[in-house]
Amino acid sequence: MAEVILKNIKKVYPYVSGEKKKRKKGGEPEKKTNLQITDEGVVAVQKFSLDIADKEFIVLVGPSGCGKSTTLRMVAGLEEISDGELYIDGKLVNDVAPKDRDIAMVFQNYALYPHMTVYDNMAFSLKLKHMPKAEIDRKVREAAEILDITQYLDRKPKALSGGQRQRVAIGRAIVRAPKVMLMDEPLSNLDAKLRNQMRAEIIKLREHINTTFIYVTHDQTEAMTLGDRIVIMRDGYIQQIGTPQEVFNHPANLFVAGFIGMPVMNLFDAKLIREGQHYFVELDGHRVHLSEEKCARLAAKNVESQDVTLGVRPEHIDLAEDGVSARIDVSEMMGSSVHLHLSAGDRDMIVIVPTVDMQGLPHMGDTVCFSFKGNVAHVFSKEDDKNLEF
Amino acid sequence: MHRNPIKTFWKNPTRRWALLFLGPVTAAFFIGFVWPFIQGIWLSLCKFRLISDAQFIGLDNFTKALEDPTFRHAFWYTALFAVVSLVLINILAFAVAYVLTQGIKGSNIYRTVFFMPNLIGGIVLGYIWSMIFDGILSHYGTSILMETKFGFWGLIILMLWQQIGYMMIIYIAGLQAVPEDMLEAARIDGANRWQTLFRVTIPNVMPSITICTFLSLTNGFKLFDQNMALTAGQPFIIQPDGSAVKTTEMLALNIYNTFYGSSNTSPGVAQAKAVLFFILVAGLGLLQLSYTRKREVQQ
Amino acid sequence: MKQNSLSGERRTKVILQIVLAVICVIYILPVLTVVINSFKQNTYVKSETFALPNEESWNGLENFIKGMTFGNYPFWKSVLYSVVITVASTALILVFTSMAAWYIARVNSFFCKVIYFLCVFSMVVPFQMVMFTLSKTADKLHLNTPWSIPVVYLGFGAGLAIFMFVGFVKSIPISIEESAAMDGCGPVRTFFRIVLPMLKPTLISVGILEIMWVWNDYLLPYLVLDINEYRTIPIHIQYLKGSYGTVDLGATMALILLSIIPVIVFYLSCQKHIIKGVAAGAVKG
Repeated sequence: MAEVILKNIKKVYPYVSGEKKKRKKGGEPEKKTNLQITDEGVVAVQKFSLDIADKEFIVLVGPSGCGKSTTLRMVAGLEEISDGELYIDGKLVNDVAPKDRDIAMVFQNYALYPHMTVYDNMAFSLKLKHMPKAEIDRKVREAAEILDITQYLDRKPKALSGGQRQRVAIGRAIVRAPKVMLMDEPLSNLDAKLRNQMRAEIIKLREHINTTFIYVTHDQTEAMTLGDRIVIMRDGYIQQIGTPQEVFNHPANLFVAGFIGMPVMNLFDAKLIREGQHYFVELDGHRVHLSEEKCARLAAKNVESQDVTLGVRPEHIDLAEDGVSARIDVSEMMGSSVHLHLSAGDRDMIVIVPTVDMQGLPHMGDTVCFSFKGNVAHVFSKEDDKNLEF
Repeated sequence: MHRNPIKTFWKNPTRRWALLFLGPVTAAFFIGFVWPFIQGIWLSLCKFRLISDAQFIGLDNFTKALEDPTFRHAFWYTALFAVVSLVLINILAFAVAYVLTQGIKGSNIYRTVFFMPNLIGGIVLGYIWSMIFDGILSHYGTSILMETKFGFWGLIILMLWQQIGYMMIIYIAGLQAVPEDMLEAARIDGANRWQTLFRVTIPNVMPSITICTFLSLTNGFKLFDQNMALTAGQPFIIQPDGSAVKTTEMLALNIYNTFYGSSNTSPGVAQAKAVLFFILVAGLGLLQLSYTRKREVQQ
Repeated sequence: MKQNSLSGERRTKVILQIVLAVICVIYILPVLTVVINSFKQNTYVKSETFALPNEESWNGLENFIKGMTFGNYPFWKSVLYSVVITVASTALILVFTSMAAWYIARVNSFFCKVIYFLCVFSMVVPFQMVMFTLSKTADKLHLNTPWSIPVVYLGFGAGLAIFMFVGFVKSIPISIEESAAMDGCGPVRTFFRIVLPMLKPTLISVGILEIMWVWNDYLLPYLVLDINEYRTIPIHIQYLKGSYGTVDLGATMALILLSIIPVIVFYLSCQKHIIKGVAAGAVKG
């Protein structure tokens, strides 16, 4: 049990000798990310500030190369913190070795010791602490019980399936009753079915162990289902911090809007129109009055009429008698709903229509009209992609 | 602003133990390799009887080495030997490996037997075969030491006996890595056994072929123990000036004899020969490395 | 049609079986020749090399006795020295090069890169290049006894071992070591309790390569060791056969037989590892 405070954390990977030269010589190197490059090196994480409360479950999420794993590894002590301060339980731990930070970590590839049995894997850290044998035994068996791996205690990791190995890795972390539990994409090596199952188990696990969690993933579903709060990152910067509800309903910018939610949010070029304290969005001549709440926020920021990017989630779009017309390109029957891929003007979009409300399946090539309500329309600035409400 | 002294976790605490982890190997490496190597280069440029009174004389030793008829003979003899043994060893080893991967009964036993000579040391091998060859040749009133061609082919046979098993192991590993379905696809496409072998199998074991080719080439060039034990360079041809050319003497043995033989050549010349020998063998090694690298890039 | 091609295949297989069996016999013949000749009197070795010993040529164990006491140098001493040198050198190489390789692979500082480069470089340097200076250096540093020569082997043999170990360490996910660090291991404990056990397959491969090299090596010990005092098995055999004057071939064969018996026993008992190790060394070297 501990709170973790990250203050303005920064990580710079200095150039390896010769790399700088190559960068200039070899033309454009493959650019996978838009990380900032300075004279010192590549900046992987910057201006990372976050107060994590005791027993909170924090999820760091973002596409690969966004700096989420680096941040986690800095908390673990596996990477140097280039700048900023890290406190665990009120203690500045920048220079403290990983083993003295009282943390445990679960790795993506499990990182079990291949030459030790499951029991020894779990007991290893306790043995190093010279804990009495009986106590070690009790703790290991307790953890094994929670994770349902008691019958595998004598096996070597090689003889286990992926899901079982992941349980052992988690077991190895929880026997130590760490102040902070770090998890680096623990489910991404599992197949889809197991992943769902393990996700549920991690949620259950929180009842058994009272500790702070920091969990890294690139999967937004995991982030939404597991996190008390989600930190969305991109190119080394935090994009938004908030509860799953908040980031879903009030994405701070276009990136968050696109990253959270499946299928992704539909985006349109539209106009924001202000009439006194009232705001409208206009799409293809179709005008929607924004909800009171949204209007109030926009008014508070004194947002004027302008061209905006309008975002509406597929599940928030309704087919209507009257509205913007679009053509059906593809219709995907998903069971409880139908995903319609529409083209409206030169924009492609997706609409989710519950099958309950439908009379007959829509056909490809049909023209339909759609509309949406004022409380689900997100307006983003054309200039900096930020949500105008913020 | 606060600056952290830790580089990354892995570097710092481990570095404190550098002396423990790297110390012993580094020390031994300097004694056993680096220093002798540097001193060897230096001495090849010196005139000396004792190392302590070595005098720099430039490239004189190299000129002498290159003018030495025994060294030149040894070079051509070695090159010929290396190429002939390379061709024979690889063809036979590949053939054996190919047959053994066709699901022949008892292939494990054959593999065991064929590999066995590889564990016997060169000196012992040489004496075993010198007994055998002399046992055969004595019926014709001659001996392996009497004629150059006996020495040459004798050493070839010895090397075949020793090396085929070794190369066979590498070829078997390569052949087993060729995906079965690729061969089946070839058969479905209408290729017969030979076409499959030459068009599909062999192109796919090129990596093994490269490795084995270079290995047998450098092995051939570096050969010493077997050469010394089988013929020790005999028979000799006496030159008009009274010096003797040992007709079956290979490069390594020639260098050894220049150093420690009874001849009055300065050890500087021997060291110069050794440097030339090193350049030759290292050149082959680097050639292999660049070849392997290029292939890895292509894959 | 199908029947035909199948029976054709069977016929080729039978022919191949026979060919292989014949080659197999040819392969074993040299060793058998050694065995039969080790029981013959010297003169008969040359004249009737391939005949089984008969009443006339039978020499009983005389050859073995003579070989073992040849030149006032007891053979058992050579065996002892060979064993000491092989075991000590291999152990030294395995422990120290694996430590160095782990450090090199994980720390990868400038110094590490230099050492690694030198190691790879040393693999292409033939022994003749350094034999003269190495034997002088070893003499000066008193590395000319069976108890100190392993240092020379460690130095000259480090290249291949480090190369193979570094390759393997790089294939181990570093997160296992990071896990160990978080579980409370320092670098030394991480190496000996986590990394070294994981290196086992490579330890076996490298160990076998080194054993085969050191056990059979002739020139290095011959030049480095104080030869009047210490002779390994290959040196002993070379002395027996290579000494000018009358060579007792029978005795030579008896010694050769004695020296290859342990090799063959070793081979048959861990054949799988040996073949694997040799293949690994070849592909990397």
